[in-house]
Amino acid sequence: MIEVRGLTKRYGDVLAVDDLSFDVQPGKVTGFLGPNGAGKSTTMRMMLGLDRPTSGTALVNGRPFAALAEPLREVGALLDPGSVHPGRSGRNHLRVAARTNGIPERRVEQAIELAGLGSAAGRRIKGYSLGMRQRLGIAAALLADPRILVFDEPINGLDLDGVRWIRGLLRRLADEGRTVLVSSHLLSEMQQTADRLVVIGRGRLIADATTDEILRGLGNLQVRVRTSESGPLLAGLQAKGFTAQRVDDNELQVDDTTAEQVGDLAHALQVPVHHLTEVQQSLEHAYIALTSDHVEYHGGRPEETR
Amino acid sequence: MTTLTAAPGTSTRDTSTGRVLARACAAEWTRLWTVKATWWFLAAAAVVMLGIGTIAGLEAAGDADPPQGDPAWAVSRISAMPAQFALLALVLLAVTSDYATGGIVPALQWTPRRTVLFVARALVTVGTATVAGVLLAAGSAVAAFTAARPLLRLPVDEGLDVLGTVAVVLAAGAALAVGLGFLLRNAAGGLVTVFLLMLLLPLLLPQFGYEWMTELALVLPGTGAAHLLLGEVPGMTTTSSSVVLAAWAVGAVALGWARLVRDDANR
Ligand SMILES: Nc1ncnc2c1ncn2[C@@H]1O[C@H](COP(=O)(O)OP(=O)(O)OP(=O)(O)O)[C@@H](O)[C@H]1O
Ligand SMILES: [Mg+2]
Repeated sequence: MIEVRGLTKRYGDVLAVDDLSFDVQPGKVTGFLGPNGAGKSTTMRMMLGLDRPTSGTALVNGRPFAALAEPLREVGALLDPGSVHPGRSGRNHLRVAARTNGIPERRVEQAIELAGLGSAAGRRIKGYSLGMRQRLGIAAALLADPRILVFDEPINGLDLDGVRWIRGLLRRLADEGRTVLVSSHLLSEMQQTADRLVVIGRGRLIADATTDEILRGLGNLQVRVRTSESGPLLAGLQAKGFTAQRVDDNELQVDDTTAEQVGDLAHALQVPVHHLTEVQQSLEHAYIALTSDHVEYHGGRPEETR
Repeated sequence: MTTLTAAPGTSTRDTSTGRVLARACAAEWTRLWTVKATWWFLAAAAVVMLGIGTIAGLEAAGDADPPQGDPAWAVSRISAMPAQFALLALVLLAVTSDYATGGIVPALQWTPRRTVLFVARALVTVGTATVAGVLLAAGSAVAAFTAARPLLRLPVDEGLDVLGTVAVVLAAGAALAVGLGFLLRNAAGGLVTVFLLMLLLPLLLPQFGYEWMTELALVLPGTGAAHLLLGEVPGMTTTSSSVVLAAWAVGAVALGWARLVRDDANR
């Protein structure tokens, strides 16, 4: 269980995290979603006691992380996989971790196997690919079998096998009753793995709900239609009250509708349709919409609170 | 693929601070010796100290008017002067490499009680530099003794005195390096500062001939170290040298600790 309350972090003029509150529950994969620069890493760093909040608290199992005597037994975390001494071997890196928390040496070998590091464990980290470094970080996170796991963009740099492996791992960890928080800037990625989503934008909480609820909320589909008679179709759509605009001479975009509706209307108007697709609004797009809503909701403040 | 061992652990175990510190020290020890830099700097210190000892012994043996029964320990004092810099660099890099590589992030994830991390790293690095310095100083004297046999002696009481002095100088210098490392978080800046404080400024300032510069040099740690090791600095006593060295060491350690405890990990 992770509890975040009123968490705020200011870097000079930049409000990286702005009064964030949410819980991460055990037994579920919670996706921590937000576009680049939204404040995901900063939030995770504060949870792990690396950065000092400007205000607010983050508790793991009811206590600040920085108070833990044996943190690896409670929280396993992977932040930046590049943040390791490149001159050490992966195995020695894990040995250091094990010593800090009094973890028996055999767990090091188990973690190496679990993370699929294999013979690379004996080589210096300098020669590791990004994917290998991710696996090393995950091995360290799993070293002491913790109840809480925090991963910052663990999919980055992994090949298809690696991505599948991570998805399976996250699922299994949550099914075993652990608390799993995993950040990403890709909704498409999270929708396959996360049970819940905490969505942030510009440091503020945008949504905190189940993945299904959020996907439904974002669900306003757009339809693109290509036709040789775009003029009559556009007029017909607008007459029916659709929001539609011209993309180019032969193509229209219609908001908040389905392919069936547009196709039926085209048929009724006897307009030939050459191509018809539904496009899910891009996440970045949705974020911008959601974030600007969010600002307005709070009373039309200027973009940054200074 | 192995599965995770068991259902998620249950209790929040409470472990005594002493035990947490002991584990942190064990981890720091492993950290120190699993990077090459440590071995290189130790080798450099060994070459300097044993080399100077051997050369001094051979010179004594080849002297037209060979010394009769002089103690070999004098060479330890001389060779410790340059060799200390290799050991100080070892200590400094052990602290700053974590900032250069980002290794401070996992380090604080595994030992989030920052004072514990600080104390462990300080104990292990200062202890290593001091013990290595003392052993190599003894080796230096033995090398001279062996090379000049049977001209030099190795009297135990003077040996203890010399090795004690080397230990004090290295412990203070290493503590200064630890403090500066945590304060500056930068290898180059730390090395330059250590070099300025321990060698260049104490040497250069008196050369300008201004009285205030000469007096300033007297309160630098390098002057204290030089007086304790070589005993040739006018205006210094054993007490004043020890006080100056200790004050710098304590001050740097306090500042380094404060920065580690108060600031964000590495941003
Ligand atoms: N040390 C710092 N000084 C100033 N600004 C910072 C600092 N660290 C982070 N920021 C700013 O805080 C904001 C949040 O950054 P953060 O790294 O937490 O975002 P993120 O959600 O993890 O993004 P990404 O998806 O790119 O990893 C950004 O605007 C970033 O520029
Ligand atoms: Mg990030």
